[in-house]
Amino acid sequence: MASDTFAERHRLPLLSRIVVATLIALVVAVPLLGGPLAGSAAGLSPYMANIIGQIATFALLALALDLVWGYGGILSLGHGLFFAAGGYLIAMHMLKAGYVFGGVTPDLMTFMGWSELPVHWAFFESFPYALLMIVLVPGLLAFLYGYVSFRSRVSGVYFAIITQALTYVAMLMMFRNDTGFGGNNGMTGFTTLLGQDIGGHAMVVGLASASVLALLVAFIGCSALLRSPFGKLLVAIRDDEARLRFLGYDTLWPKLAAWCLSGILAAIAGALYVPQVGIINPRLLSPELSIEIAVWVALGGRGALSGAVIGAAIISALKFWLTGFVPEAWPFILALVVLVVVTLLPNGLLDLKPQVLWRGRRSGKRGMIE
Amino acid sequence: MKRRNFVKGLLTAGAGSVIASPWVARKAVAASNSGTVKLGCLFSSSGTMANIEGRLNYVAQMAAEEINAKGGVLGKTVEVVTTDPGSDWPLYAQLGRQLIQQEEVAATFGCWTSVSRKSVLPVVEQNDALLYYPLHFEGEENSKNVVYLNSPPSSSVLPAVEYLMGDEGGSARRFFMLGSDYVWPRTINQQLKGYWAEQGIEPEAWREEYVPVGHSNFQTLINEIREFANQPGGQPIVVLTVVGNSIPDFFREFINQGISAFDIPVLGLDAVEADFEGLDTAPLVGHLNCWAYLQNAAGPRNEEFLSNWSNYVAANDVPFSPNVAIDPMVSTYDGVHLWAMAAEKAGSFGVPDVRDASAGLTFACPSGYDISMTSENTYVKRGVFIGSLNENQGFDILWQSPDTPEPVPFSPYMNS
Amino acid sequence: MARRRVDFGHLLVSFILLCAASLPALAQDRGTIIAEICSGDFGAQQSALGQLAAAGMSEDSSDATWARRIVEAFEGRELRCGNGVALITTEDGAVQAASMEPSDVDAETLAPPSVNLRLRATAASAAAILRLFIEEDAANRLSAANYIDRRREAATAPILSAALERENDAEVRAVLSTLRASLLLEDPDPANRIAAVEAIAQDATLRNRTTIAEAMRDESDADVLAAGDAAIASIDRMLQVGKILSTLYSGASYASVLFLAALGLAIIFGLMGVINLAQGELIMVGAYAAWFTQEAIRTALPALLDYYLIIAIPISFMAAALVGLLMEVIVIRRLYDRPLMTLLATWAISLLLINTVRVTIGSQNLEFHQPYYVSGGFPLVGDFIMTSNRLFAIVVAICACVTVVVLLRRSLFGMNIRAVTQNRAMAGAAGIDTRRTDMMAFSLGSGLAGLAGLALSPLYNVNPGMGTGFIVDSFMVVVLGGVGSLIGAALAAIGIGQINVIVEPIYGAVAAKVFVLLLVIVFIQWRPEGLFAPKGRR
Repeated sequence: MASDTFAERHRLPLLSRIVVATLIALVVAVPLLGGPLAGSAAGLSPYMANIIGQIATFALLALALDLVWGYGGILSLGHGLFFAAGGYLIAMHMLKAGYVFGGVTPDLMTFMGWSELPVHWAFFESFPYALLMIVLVPGLLAFLYGYVSFRSRVSGVYFAIITQALTYVAMLMMFRNDTGFGGNNGMTGFTTLLGQDIGGHAMVVGLASASVLALLVAFIGCSALLRSPFGKLLVAIRDDEARLRFLGYDTLWPKLAAWCLSGILAAIAGALYVPQVGIINPRLLSPELSIEIAVWVALGGRGALSGAVIGAAIISALKFWLTGFVPEAWPFILALVVLVVVTLLPNGLLDLKPQVLWRGRRSGKRGMIE
Repeated sequence: MKRRNFVKGLLTAGAGSVIASPWVARKAVAASNSGTVKLGCLFSSSGTMANIEGRLNYVAQMAAEEINAKGGVLGKTVEVVTTDPGSDWPLYAQLGRQLIQQEEVAATFGCWTSVSRKSVLPVVEQNDALLYYPLHFEGEENSKNVVYLNSPPSSSVLPAVEYLMGDEGGSARRFFMLGSDYVWPRTINQQLKGYWAEQGIEPEAWREEYVPVGHSNFQTLINEIREFANQPGGQPIVVLTVVGNSIPDFFREFINQGISAFDIPVLGLDAVEADFEGLDTAPLVGHLNCWAYLQNAAGPRNEEFLSNWSNYVAANDVPFSPNVAIDPMVSTYDGVHLWAMAAEKAGSFGVPDVRDASAGLTFACPSGYDISMTSENTYVKRGVFIGSLNENQGFDILWQSPDTPEPVPFSPYMNS
Repeated sequence: MARRRVDFGHLLVSFILLCAASLPALAQDRGTIIAEICSGDFGAQQSALGQLAAAGMSEDSSDATWARRIVEAFEGRELRCGNGVALITTEDGAVQAASMEPSDVDAETLAPPSVNLRLRATAASAAAILRLFIEEDAANRLSAANYIDRRREAATAPILSAALERENDAEVRAVLSTLRASLLLEDPDPANRIAAVEAIAQDATLRNRTTIAEAMRDESDADVLAAGDAAIASIDRMLQVGKILSTLYSGASYASVLFLAALGLAIIFGLMGVINLAQGELIMVGAYAAWFTQEAIRTALPALLDYYLIIAIPISFMAAALVGLLMEVIVIRRLYDRPLMTLLATWAISLLLINTVRVTIGSQNLEFHQPYYVSGGFPLVGDFIMTSNRLFAIVVAICACVTVVVLLRRSLFGMNIRAVTQNRAMAGAAGIDTRRTDMMAFSLGSGLAGLAGLALSPLYNVNPGMGTGFIVDSFMVVVLGGVGSLIGAALAAIGIGQINVIVEPIYGAVAAKVFVLLLVIVFIQWRPEGLFAPKGRR
C-alpha cells in the first residue's frame, strides 16, 4: 500500500533506529548509574530507577497492544487483563516463595482464616514454574478468547467492547476474596525475589534494567517479525480481511498467533511491573486502565512500534511528574491531549512532523488506519 | 533531511528531559528548603473514599497551622504536603514512596482502609519511615513504623457488641454480618465469631455476607436481612462493616423497606456523621456506631476544636461542611500534635528518635479524654464512645468508657 | 407485626399493667412514676412507661394528657432529671415534671435520662396508645391504632379493651379488635386463643408465622393446634407468592435501571455506530441537573419542593441533550467514519466531565430530598414490599420507552433516524439532511441519558463518578439486544435484570454479575448481531 512504503521508506526505520539507540543507551546507563556510579553527581537514585523501570514496562505493554492494533487492526480495550495476569502470577510466586522458604505468612491467609493456600497456588515457589505460568496462562486465555471470537468473525467495535467486559468480569472476580487471590487487598508484602531483598537498592536497579532490556528485546524482535512475511500478512489482514479470505488465505491463525503473542508480551510487562511497585490489586483490571493503554498507543502513533513506545513513555512520564506537583490537573491534561490527538492528529505524534514540514501535502486520510 | 533529524532529536531530547525533570527538580528543592519541615498526607480527594478522606487533609493543615502559630517545631515551620491517591490502593504506595524518598517528609499521615495501609506498610518499613494511621482497624499488626492513632477491635468493636448483647442494648442473640470484601471486615468478623463461640452462641445464629467495595445495590441483601430477622431465636442485629459510599446506600434501602432500628438495629462500625449528610435520618434514629470520638462529646475542648474547624473551613474555602466533625479528623489532629510533641521532646526529626520519644506522651484530645502512648508499642490509648443516630445526622452518646482502655494489638479471638 | 417473643421485660410490664388495670386512676402517683423514669434503672423505666401507657384508661382525663406530655418529653430528650428534681424544658423555660408548674431550676444542670433502643420502642408505643385515648380526630386515632399494630411494646389486652369501649369510629374499632384478639395468644380460654391465631394470620408475614409457631410449641389443646397449623399453612402460601413477586419486582426494577441507562446509547450506537463512553457522564449530568432544580425550587418556590422530580424532567433532559450536542458538534462530528477514535474521544470527554464536576461542585454525595412518592413502600403480599423509588424508576422507564418508540415510528424526525440508520447513503440521496439528523439524534440519545440520571437519583448515590458503574452494563444491553433495536434493548434489559436477581441470593451479587456478563459474551459469539438486528446492519 502506498502508505506502507511511504512510511517505511521515510519515517519508520529512522525513528525505530532512534528508539533502539535510546534503549541500548538506557540498558547500559541504568545499571551503571544506579550501581557503581550511584553516589556520583549523575547517579541514579533508587526512586528514579524505579520510575524508569515502570515506564519501560508500560512501554512494553503499549508495544504489545500496538502489535495487534496498529498492525493487525484488532483493537483490544482489555489488555489490562494480560498485564494483570502476569502481575498476579509473579506475585503468587513471590508470596509463595516467601512463605515456603522464608516463613512469612501471606496476609490473605491470615484474614481469611486459611491454614494453607488454595490448590492453584501449588508449585509457585519455584521460579521456573512461575515463568512457565506467565507464558502459558495469558497465552491460553488469549488463545481461548481469540479463537472463539475470530472464528465467529467478531471484530472491530464489538470485539473491543467485549474485551472491556472481559476485563471487567475478571476484575469483579478478583475483588472477591474467596477466589484466593487476595481480593480487594490484592497481594503485597513481598520480601524477596530470586533470593534478593525486594526493596534493596540492587533489586530496584536490577528490575529497572531488566525492564528496559525486555523492552529492547521485544522491540527488536517484533520489528523483525513485522518485516517478515508474517508481518506483511498481518498488515494485509488489517487492511482488508475479506479480500484476503477470498484470495484463499486462512486469516484465523495469523490473527490468533499475533493475539497470543501480544497477550504474552503484556503479561511479561506485568510480571516486571509488579515487583517494582510492590503491590498488585484488582484495580489493574479496571476497564478505565485498559482504555488508557489504547490512549498511549493512539497518542504515539499506531502505525509504528516506536510510536507506541514513545507514546507510552511520554504519557507515563507526564503522569508521574504531574501527579506529584498538581494532581488535580492531570485528568484535564490527559483528556485534552487525547482530544487534540484524536481530532487533529489521526496517526498520533507520528503525524506531527509531516504536517509541520510538508505543508500542502495532507496526510490526513491517507495512511490512516481504522 | 537535516531539519527532520533536528526535529526528531528535539522531540527525543524533550521526552528525555521530561523524564529527568523530577530528578533535577528534587535536587534543586532539597537545596532550598531548610527552614521548614515537611509532613506528608496520603488521603484521597477522589474516588469512593473522597467524601470522608478528603477532610483529613484539611485537618492536618489546620493542626500544622496551630503548631506554627506557637513557633513551629524545633524552630522550623511545619509544611503539609498533600497528595491524591484517588481511592486506588497501589497509588497510596506509589505516592508514599514519593513523599518519603522525593519530598523527604519527616512523617506521613495517611490511609483509611486497611488495604491502603497494608499497601503503604512495606514502603514505610523499607525506608524506616513513620506512618500515622488515624482509623480504627482490625488490629493483628504491630509495626514499629506505624503509629496506630485509633482503636483495635478490643477497644472499638467488642465493647459495642457487648453492649448490644446486654440487657440495655436489647439482648442481641442473632447476628447478620454484612461487610465490604477486604481485610478489615473479614478480620473483624473472624474475631466476632471467635468471641461468640466463647459466649456459647451457635453458628446458626449468625450469617456472613460480603459485597465488593463501592457496592450500591442492597435491595436483595436487605430482603435477606429481613428474612433472617424474622426467624426465631432472639433479637437480631446487623453488624455492618461496609465502607465508603456503600454506607449511605445501605441505609437508604433500609429506609425504603420501612425497617426501623427498633426492629433490626444496625451497628455501623465505619459509619460517621459525614456518611449521613445526604439522608433524612428521622427514620434511622437508633442505629449505632462505635468510635473514639463523637461530635456530640461534651466538654470545652471539643467546643474549641469544633469552632476552630468551623473558622478554618470558612477562612480557607474548604469544600466540606464546617459543622461536621468525624472521629478520624480528630485522630489526625491528635496525630500531628503527637508528632510535634515527640519531635520537640527528642530534639530531632529522625524517625528512631521520634519513635522513642513518643513513649509517655499525653495529649488533651478534643474528645475529652487524655490520650497517651506507652513504650510498649506504637498504639495510642483512647476512650470509647457508643453513639446512637439522631434526627440531625449526628450521633448521641449512648455510653462512653470511664477511662482509656489498654489497646490489644493481637486479638485472642482470632483462630489460626 | 406481632411480638417476636415474650420476654421478661414485657412480662413485667404486662403484670404491672394488669395490676394497674384494676384501678381507675394511676397506679402510682405522678411523683413515683417520674422517679422511676429518671432512675436510670432499665427495668424501672420500662415499668414506668407501662404505667404511663395505662394512664390512658384512667377516668381522669388529665392523667392521660399528663402522661402523654411525659412520654413525649422522654422521647424528645426534653425531660431532665437530677438531684431529686425532674424538669421538662419548654420554649418558655422549664416546668416541673410532676406538677407542670414553672420552675426556676436551671435545666442545663440536669441531664436527660439515657434512652436506649428498647426504651425508645416502648416509649413510642406508649405515646401511640395515649394518642388513641386523647385524640379527637378519628383519622389521628386510626393512625395511632395502626402504629400500635406495628409497635406493641406497651399494648396489653386490658388497655385495648378499654380503648375499644370508648371508641366510636368503625375503622378504628376494626383495627383495635383485631389487635386485641391477636394479643390473646396466652389467654386461658382456647376459643380466644383460636381467635388470636386467626387474627394474627390475617397479616401474612414471616414474623407472624414465627409468633404462631412459637406459641404452638407450648400448646396442648387440639383445636388450637389445628387452627395454628392451618394458619401457618396459609401464611406459607402467601409468603411464597410474596417471594416470587419480590424477585420479579427486583428484576423489573434492575431492568428498568439498565434500560434507562442503555436507551440513549441504543439510539446513538444504532444510528451512528458511535460508541459513546461518556454515556455514564451524561447520566450524571441529568442527576446533577435534577439537584440544581431541587435547590432552585427550594429557594424560590419552597412549597413546590415535593414536585422537583417532575419539574426536573424536561430540565434534566435538556441539560444532558445540550452537553451531548456540544460533544457532537465540537468533537464527534469530525470522527464519524472512525469508530475506534470516537471511542477514545468520548472517553476523554467523560474524563473531562467527571473532573470538571468534581472540581467545581465537589466529590461529595449530593443530598436529595425524598418526596413522598419516592420514599417508603407498599407492603403487598407476604413479606414483599413494593418500594416507591424503584416503582418511580420503572414508571419512568416505561414512559420513556413508549415515548421514544412513538417518536421513532410516528414522527418525521423518527423516520429520518430510521432511514439514516438503515442506509445512510440512500437516505442522503433521498434528500434527508444526514448531518442534522445525526446531531438531533445524538442530542436525543444524550437527553435520554439525562432522564435516566433523574430517575436514578433516588436510588443511587449522586457524585461525579456515578456514571462509570453503568457503562459496561449499558453496552452489554445494547449489544445483546441488537444494535439499533429498542425492543431488543428492552428485552435484553429485562433478561439481564431478571437473571441477575435470580442468581444473586444464591451465589451473591458479584457471582450474579459475572455470570450474566459471561452469558452475554457467549451469546454474542454465537449470534453476533444480538437478539433483534434491524436489517442493513453488518
